[in-house]
Amino acid sequence: MLTVTNVHKAFGDNKILQGVDLAINKGDVVVILGPSGSGKTTLLRCLNFLEQADQGTATFSDLQVDLAKATRKEIYAVRQKTAFVFQNYNLFANKTALDNVTEGLITGRKWAKEAARQKAREALAKVGLNGKEDLYPSQLSGGQQQRVGIARALVLEPDIILFDEPTSALDPELVGEVLEVMKTIAQEGTTMLVVTHEMSFAKEVANHVIFMDGGRVVEQGDADAIFLRPKEERTKQFLRRVLPQEYNYQI
Amino acid sequence: MDIAFFKQALGIAFSGVPLTLLVTVVTLIIALPVGFFLTLVRMKRIPVIHQLIGIYLSFIRGTPVIIQIFVLYNSIPLLIAGVAKGKFDVYAIHPIWYAFVIFSFGMAAIVAEIVRGALQTVDKGQLEAAYSVGLTVPQAYRRIILPQMLTAALPNLCTATVNLVKATSLGYAIALPEITLRTKVAANAGYHYVEAYTAIFIVYLLICLLIEYAFHKTEQRVRRYQGGIAC
Repeated sequence: MLTVTNVHKAFGDNKILQGVDLAINKGDVVVILGPSGSGKTTLLRCLNFLEQADQGTATFSDLQVDLAKATRKEIYAVRQKTAFVFQNYNLFANKTALDNVTEGLITGRKWAKEAARQKAREALAKVGLNGKEDLYPSQLSGGQQQRVGIARALVLEPDIILFDEPTSALDPELVGEVLEVMKTIAQEGTTMLVVTHEMSFAKEVANHVIFMDGGRVVEQGDADAIFLRPKEERTKQFLRRVLPQEYNYQI
Repeated sequence: MDIAFFKQALGIAFSGVPLTLLVTVVTLIIALPVGFFLTLVRMKRIPVIHQLIGIYLSFIRGTPVIIQIFVLYNSIPLLIAGVAKGKFDVYAIHPIWYAFVIFSFGMAAIVAEIVRGALQTVDKGQLEAAYSVGLTVPQAYRRIILPQMLTAALPNLCTATVNLVKATSLGYAIALPEITLRTKVAANAGYHYVEAYTAIFIVYLLICLLIEYAFHKTEQRVRRYQGGIAC
C-alpha cells in the first residue's frame, strides 16, 4: 500500500533522516518508536510534504512520487490519499468541530454540503463527540480537540492516516480517550502509521513496530519481537528506559 | 462667536462628507488587496523585488503625508504629460483622481505592515492542517488563514482607516473640495475661522467615532470563535 525508499533529509548540516525504508500493507497499524531527534516526526512530515525531503521515493498504491522533486499536482494527489493527525491538534481555530471535519470534504473534495455534514456527524459520533458539533476548538478540552482531529482525518477515508505523536501534548488523564479512539479505528481496518511514545498502544495495537535512531531504522518486526526479543543493543537500551518495570525481566 | 455662521459652517462641512468618504472608501478598496499582495510577495523574498518593496515601505513610513502629496501631485502630471505627448490636457484632471492615487499609495504600505504583523499571529500549524486535508494554497488562505488574520488586523486597520479619514483633510493642498477646503473657503469671506474650524472638528470627530464603532462591531463578530477571550 505504501512503500518508502531511501528518504534523506537534512536541516542545514543536521542530518535528520539518513536513508529510511519502510513498507506498509493495507490495514496495517505501524508504530514508529525512537528517542527524540531520531527523525520519526520528520519522516511523517516528509510523507505528507509538510517538509520537502532531500532524496527518496514514496509509492502510495499506484502513485509513485519523488519526495524531493514532486510537482504541485503530485503533492496535491498524495494529500488526497493521506490524512494527518498533529501533535498539537491544529484544529482550524475559526471553525466549529463540525466545520473542521467537513472542510476537507466540501472544499478539498467538492462534496455537497449536506452529504458532508451527514458524514461528519457520523465521524464525530464515532469518536464520541455527539452534541459537540457546534463548539469551537477553544471550547473543547485537549482530548476532545484531538478526537476532532482524528474525525477530520477519518472522514476523508484516506488510504493511510499519519499520526504524529497524537497524545504527547495531552494531560495524562486525557491520553486514554484518544488512544481508545485510535484503537477502535485500528480494529476497523484503517491503515495507520503512528509515531508515539505510548508503549502500551504499540504493544496492544501495532502489528508492526519500527525502532528508529539517528535517522535510520535500527530494528523492526512485530510488537512481540521488538518488545520481548529485541536484537540490537540500541533497541534494548531504549526499551529499558521507557518500559515500565514489569516488562523488564522479559528482556 | 457667530452662531449663525457656525450653523452655516456645519452645513458646509457636512456637504464635504460624501467626498471625504468616497476618497476613503476607494483608497481602502485599492489599498487592501494591494497591501496584502505586497506582503505575500515580500514573504517569498525574491531578490530585487523584495528590496524594492522594502524601499517603498520605508519611504512611506519615513515621510510626512503632506510631502507625499506634494511629491506625487507634482510628478504624476509630468509623467502623464510625457507619455500622452500633448494628446490631452493633464491639468484638466479632477484632483479627486490624484487623491485616489496618492492616498492609495500611502495606505497600501500601511496595510502591508498590518498584514505582515497579523499573519505572524496565525499559527503555522493552521496552514499545515489545511494542506493535510487537501486544500490548495489559495483555498487555505481564503478559508483558514485570512479569517484568523483578520482578528489581529482589525484594531490596526481601524486606526489606519481613522488616520486616513483625517489625512484626507490634506486634500485641500491639491484643491480637493472635501470637508476642510469647503469650510475654510466659506470662512475666508468673513474671517470666521474659529467657527469654521470648530465645525470641521465636530464633523471629523463624528465620522471617526462612527468608523470606530463599526470596526468594534465587526471585530466582535469575527472574534466569536475565540470564545472567552475578551475584545
